[in-house]
Amino acid sequence: MRSFSYVRPESPQDAIRAFTAAGAGARYVAGGTTLFDLMKLGVERPAHLIDVTAIRGLDSVRTDGDTLRFEALATMSAVASNPQIMRDYPVLSESLSLAASQQIRNMATVGGNLLQRTRCMYFRNGAGSSSTVGVYPCNKREPGSGCAAIGGLDRGQAVLGQSEACTAVSPGDWPVALTAMNASIELLGPAGARTVPIADLYLLPASTPQQEFSIKPGEMITAITVPKTTAGRASTYLKIRDRESYAFALASAAVALDLDGDRVQRAHVALGGVATRPWRAQQAETVLVGQKLTPELALAAGQTAMKGARAGSVNAYKIELGAQTVANALTTAFTRRGR
Amino acid sequence: MLSLNARVNGRPVSLPVDARTSLLDLIREHLGLGGTKKGCDHGQCGACTVHVDDQRVLSCLTLAAKVEDRDVTTIEGLSDGKSLHPMQKAFVDNDALQCGYCTPGQIMAAVACVKEGNAKSEDSIREYMSGNICRCGAYVGIVAAIQEAAPKMRQD
Amino acid sequence: MTQPFAPLERVDAHDKVLGRTQFAADVRFPNMLYAMLVAAPIAKGHVVALDTGPAYKVRDVVRVLTASDFPPPSASSGQAPPLPTIVNDISYVGQPVALVVAKTLEAAIEGAEAIRPSYRTEPFISAMSNPAAKRVPASPKTVGDAEDALKSAAVVVDATYQTPSQHHNPIELFATTAVWADGQLTIYDCTQAATMSKLAVAGSLGLDPNKVEVKSDYVGGGFGQKGAPKTQTALVARAAMLTGHPVKLVTPRGQIFHLAPYRPQTQQRIRLGSDSSGKMTCLAYDVVQENVPGGIFGVANYHEAVPRLYGITSYLGTGSDIYIDRQAPGNMRGTQTLCACFAMESAVDELAYKLGRDPLELRLANDTTTDVLSGHPLSGRYLAQCLNEGARRFGWNRRTPAPGSMRLPDGTLVGWGLACGIFHANMGASEATLRVGADGTTRLVTGGHEMGQGIRTAIANTILHDLDVDPSKLEIVIGDTTAGPQPITSGQWGTASVVPVTAKAVSQLKAAYDQRAAGRQFGGNLHARLARLNCPYLEVSVTQLAPGQDPSALNVMRNGGLAVAGPAYPQATAMSYIAHFVEIQIEPGTRRIRMPRAVSIADVGCVVSPRTATSQMYGGVVWGFGSALREGTEVDPRYAGYLNADLADYVVAVNADIGKIDVGFVGDPDQEANSVGVKDMGELVMTGTSAAIANAVYHATGKRQRKLPIRIDDVL
Repeated sequence: MRSFSYVRPESPQDAIRAFTAAGAGARYVAGGTTLFDLMKLGVERPAHLIDVTAIRGLDSVRTDGDTLRFEALATMSAVASNPQIMRDYPVLSESLSLAASQQIRNMATVGGNLLQRTRCMYFRNGAGSSSTVGVYPCNKREPGSGCAAIGGLDRGQAVLGQSEACTAVSPGDWPVALTAMNASIELLGPAGARTVPIADLYLLPASTPQQEFSIKPGEMITAITVPKTTAGRASTYLKIRDRESYAFALASAAVALDLDGDRVQRAHVALGGVATRPWRAQQAETVLVGQKLTPELALAAGQTAMKGARAGSVNAYKIELGAQTVANALTTAFTRRGR
Repeated sequence: MLSLNARVNGRPVSLPVDARTSLLDLIREHLGLGGTKKGCDHGQCGACTVHVDDQRVLSCLTLAAKVEDRDVTTIEGLSDGKSLHPMQKAFVDNDALQCGYCTPGQIMAAVACVKEGNAKSEDSIREYMSGNICRCGAYVGIVAAIQEAAPKMRQD
Repeated sequence: MTQPFAPLERVDAHDKVLGRTQFAADVRFPNMLYAMLVAAPIAKGHVVALDTGPAYKVRDVVRVLTASDFPPPSASSGQAPPLPTIVNDISYVGQPVALVVAKTLEAAIEGAEAIRPSYRTEPFISAMSNPAAKRVPASPKTVGDAEDALKSAAVVVDATYQTPSQHHNPIELFATTAVWADGQLTIYDCTQAATMSKLAVAGSLGLDPNKVEVKSDYVGGGFGQKGAPKTQTALVARAAMLTGHPVKLVTPRGQIFHLAPYRPQTQQRIRLGSDSSGKMTCLAYDVVQENVPGGIFGVANYHEAVPRLYGITSYLGTGSDIYIDRQAPGNMRGTQTLCACFAMESAVDELAYKLGRDPLELRLANDTTTDVLSGHPLSGRYLAQCLNEGARRFGWNRRTPAPGSMRLPDGTLVGWGLACGIFHANMGASEATLRVGADGTTRLVTGGHEMGQGIRTAIANTILHDLDVDPSKLEIVIGDTTAGPQPITSGQWGTASVVPVTAKAVSQLKAAYDQRAAGRQFGGNLHARLARLNCPYLEVSVTQLAPGQDPSALNVMRNGGLAVAGPAYPQATAMSYIAHFVEIQIEPGTRRIRMPRAVSIADVGCVVSPRTATSQMYGGVVWGFGSALREGTEVDPRYAGYLNADLADYVVAVNADIGKIDVGFVGDPDQEANSVGVKDMGELVMTGTSAAIANAVYHATGKRQRKLPIRIDDVL
């Protein structure tokens, strides 16, 4: 790892000024659980770190009014254990509490978590750091070098949204839940503040897999808002992993149901672990609307969610697993109705 | 080099640090506290768990510069040195360790697990202790130790 | 030694919970330098240019060691072959090509990353599936005519089983700290074989072995990974010599995956025949494994254990190495027997279903007392007791045999499986010095390494069982070559080697005391009684051989060689035994595989340290769970390196994976194995686990699992 400068501004404006002044190679860092890790791997090589965690008053969780508002520096553990979120939006709290470990959740922020980068093994290996061995091409890490995952070990790779250039899975859980719940992201940058729907934050890899987010240089996430909905109560986040805890998803589903008795009035379905970005499954939602939720309907919705999926050499199981994950999540959410 | 001022195990420390230095390497190589262990250096094993302002964190993924003006507690600061912390005692009594390498991290995580209120059931302990890998496989003893220590900690 | 041993507290537990136990990475010296390796990214070829300039441009970099900084390998000194140091011919991904030494760890890392050698690459073979790979058959092991017997067997199971590459991944990283002072090297190294490590360094660097000492007081998990001498030990030692400063290297885990030995991938074919009554008669077992030329992990050991499980009359054991371009595979917990037991005990389950017999009852009906390989009796065999006690605790009689027949109301599939494990009870030549002082101290010096298995506690129990000394002032010195030879602790012969010699020392010390006391009776403990005798201390030095072992073994041991006997001793063959019972549950839809409970019962002869032995049993089940359901190292054949070379992608068991585990011991001290009757258990505890789990998955689903690890993809 090469040396870098490090500053801890105390206001968003100071942070943005520091970023702009630093010029090329500047990065914001909050909890650092992704960035510091990737720096050790040689994947990220910032020249200047602007630590935003000294900014005061940017870590509140607001549940009054029409929207939930999570300021960017609230830690994952703080939001996960918020009693109101646990009660009224289990999909949100579960997506956080099933991620990483409590130590990491105490460090990582809900804003920074949105920018977590892929766990693709070819992306993480091969940047020539002391932590890794070998040289592996990766278009996301080194544009134009090729994608070794295509034709390589692809058990963990995406089956939805991949391109000829990249099949890396979007790793997050919280972003999947937020995608299901129509969240918006508040950004602040040199050109001022703006808000984008979460769907617009994440880019498909297409031919430019190195561009993962629609955030402009110098912009930082300041808050996340989620429109309040009664669907929050009948919701869940189901995460299927290679072990029972402390692992990334092979497949995950964030679902929430607005119900009239046993009938679905409105459904929220998003998937993780199977796609190159948090994956909203609108067609699956349509399948559910107006219907009585049965195990058969849940599975049909799951299968619809995976429509168009394309497998590589050994990851076809993700197509079946994704469908079953959605189905089980819907069943769990349904049992939470009328709580 | 940055100048760092923090408190470690209740004692003020003040020293220059490289911006690249992790809290783990600061504790081990600069402060000479060898109890906190490096098992992966990438946030994947939990052996480096310490408390910062009473919250358990991974010191390997914490930039040392981030603990400016904060309180760091390591395994060396958990008890007064004369008697064992109830969690340490319970680890001994339940043989919740073998090689002992992950043990300081397990104990720091376990103490926090109880304080957070996440040690109320066996399942909850297992889940909230899953960030600490014990390759010797002492999980049965670790869960038993936490169940034994939790009520004693609440009395203290 | 007629009284059973008490479950004494682990002697080093107090220091371990305080974080005071000093591992190799924990030592610090004034003016110590930090080192980092530069690893080759290619599998085969040659370093054609290595510019150290960029590293020297990094502030605080002190020295860069390359191939030219090392003497050519000298002739073997002692028993340990000299290890290659840094050489420019590359034979595996991850091979060290340089070592950067700096005043700070950060600078050492930056310096190592600044070095980008150029290589000439050669074609390589990275996997045993490559048809171009060279296949080298081993000599077969034959008893009777198994081929002929298979032809006439009423029922034959013929099946092929696969096991993956796996890595030990103790949480302690490879750590070496070397100090060069006054012409003497002192190396703090994490090793299970300090003397071997010392001699390897001396050989590699062309030094007089008397000028090298290795200290490995505590090892942060070994599991076989730290048995063979490590290349880095000599590299760090050389760096200390060249710089004149203490040098520490803690190797990143991603590199360790590529440097350390690993469990090689195997393909195993079992042909198991029985008569129509279910009596197993013949077994043909062929194994193919990945290896490197000259690799120490041989095919022959696959045939040590499984022929001794049941009363077969003919055996044909064959096997081959397939050469690949990777680092050398080596012993990993359970060794060859782990893989062999997976294949064999899966095949026995298949046989039970073919015969329509209960798998427990079939095993009991095929119990034996004779070692088919030697014709000698199997000593102290309590496998049937393991099975019966395990079945009782597990509630095996409530099992319904049909696959898929034990569902939970929510549709969860339930499977109950069992399997046996077996491991050879070896023993090494050993020596010990025991001193008890009137000042209250007791000191035992012997050869061995504490890796968490509890060897110090077993030694302490052996002393305290028969000697009234102060346990708080009992010092056990092992792992330190300055105190005496430290033979390799592995293959589950560590405790079986040090406990008998300790017991002998205790017995001789008591005799020496009795002679001094000459019939006079005093109160108090031994220290007090020595004081009354005006005797400042008593000291005895003893040696111990395994049954039938040639006395020359002692010198072999002292010179760092393998001086191990068994399991075929003159009178009998000594094996340790275990039976595992597991419940597997597979959830509906998403098909996650869980193991809510397991029962393991072992016969390890005398249990010298009940508390640490129980912990070893728990650990064996956890390892078995991981090995069967989680772990596999993945190599992209186009590149030959390990891709999942970290603890996120190499999936080991976490706390939430582990359910209820019930363990116990049966049997008696096995006096044919050694004077104390201890048969040891570190390897044994894991053998058979993966078959029990695979058999349970079959019972749950009706789908036979012949390839490990078994994951969601296999049961969807």
